[in-house]
Amino acid sequence: MHRLDAPSTPLTQSTAPDVRVAMLEAQLRQAHEHIAELEASDGVKAQFLANISHDLRTPLTAVITHAEILRDGILGTLSPRQLESINGIINGGRQLLGQVGEILTYARGAADQLTVVPSQFDLSDVVAQICALNESLASRKGVTLVSDVPADLERVTADRQKIAHILGNLLGNAIDFTPAGGRVWVTARFVATDVERQCLVEVGDTGIGIDAEHHELVFREFAQVDSSASRPHHGTGLGLTIARRLVELHGGRIWLESGLGEGSRFFFTIPYVTF
Amino acid sequence: MTALPHVLVAEDNELVSGAMRVLFEETGHRVSTAPSIEETVRVASSDAVDLLLLDLGLVDGDGLEVLSRLRALDALPRIAVALTGRDEPEVVARCRAMGCHAVLLKPVPARELLRMAREWLAARD
Repeated sequence: MHRLDAPSTPLTQSTAPDVRVAMLEAQLRQAHEHIAELEASDGVKAQFLANISHDLRTPLTAVITHAEILRDGILGTLSPRQLESINGIINGGRQLLGQVGEILTYARGAADQLTVVPSQFDLSDVVAQICALNESLASRKGVTLVSDVPADLERVTADRQKIAHILGNLLGNAIDFTPAGGRVWVTARFVATDVERQCLVEVGDTGIGIDAEHHELVFREFAQVDSSASRPHHGTGLGLTIARRLVELHGGRIWLESGLGEGSRFFFTIPYVTF
Repeated sequence: MTALPHVLVAEDNELVSGAMRVLFEETGHRVSTAPSIEETVRVASSDAVDLLLLDLGLVDGDGLEVLSRLRALDALPRIAVALTGRDEPEVVARCRAMGCHAVLLKPVPARELLRMAREWLAARD
């Protein structure tokens, strides 16, 4: 821990003004040095996290590839039970890989290594793609997943991969926190503010909801409102932190409207022209 | 008898190159593996390579250096494909500029990699 040293001579009214100024300047310099040290240490940690998560992918690649070789019958035909078991290894491996990928994205964000690569694209395509990816998860949970994005919605200029990432994280969460029989939806439309036009995207659900006092907390890293060991919702706890980072990287804003037991509505904006 | 296509796996992690060896040997290819730039250049310049699967992080440096060295030796593989854990646009652009046929993000599903490899090898016959 760093602590600012107390001045060896107390600053009093009787101290000559130029001496006081010099002492304050010295303290200020010290404070700046400490901030720089802390920032450097934070940078080292973020870099470490980025490196380690990158390195974790390599052995995982080997595990998944070997399992796929077996699954695909390249080394001989498997019985249905063997196939089921191999699929378990592959699915577990891919899930772990996804989580490692999230940590990597988070660490790159923390180390300021994320850049936006803009292109023009149809948001409805990306929404359809992300909904399709989450359809089986939703139906397994008994949750209805719907999207309402006008087919003639103007194209957006943004980093397509990162917008897909944001949507994936919000949608995954919405499904995860919505009990069977509930609904999850995605909508998008252009809205005009005083200063600019922007695309407003909503991911909503009829799930458990979030108390107003926790609205800021959910965007913090490693946070889940219920952090008890028995919590039914798993993940890295980075999904919303990453989503916020990626939205802000685009110059947009992300927020939620929710109350306990009232479902949640997450909104984010993509400025009309950001680049 | 037609010679089996020669696949060279340049990869510093033996677990990964071992998996690639099983995948390609069992499906009618001849496989060499190399963990370093030096070894990859040595193998490729002495035994013509049909398909090079190139990891970007080799034990002794940037995997793409292999391609510039093989170009200088006039011993480029018929097809070079980069396999990488990083999909940043600048990485992809650098691989393309160095002559990579494709840039694939690891792990590429085994079936998918095999399908693409067969296509590339058939197209260049």
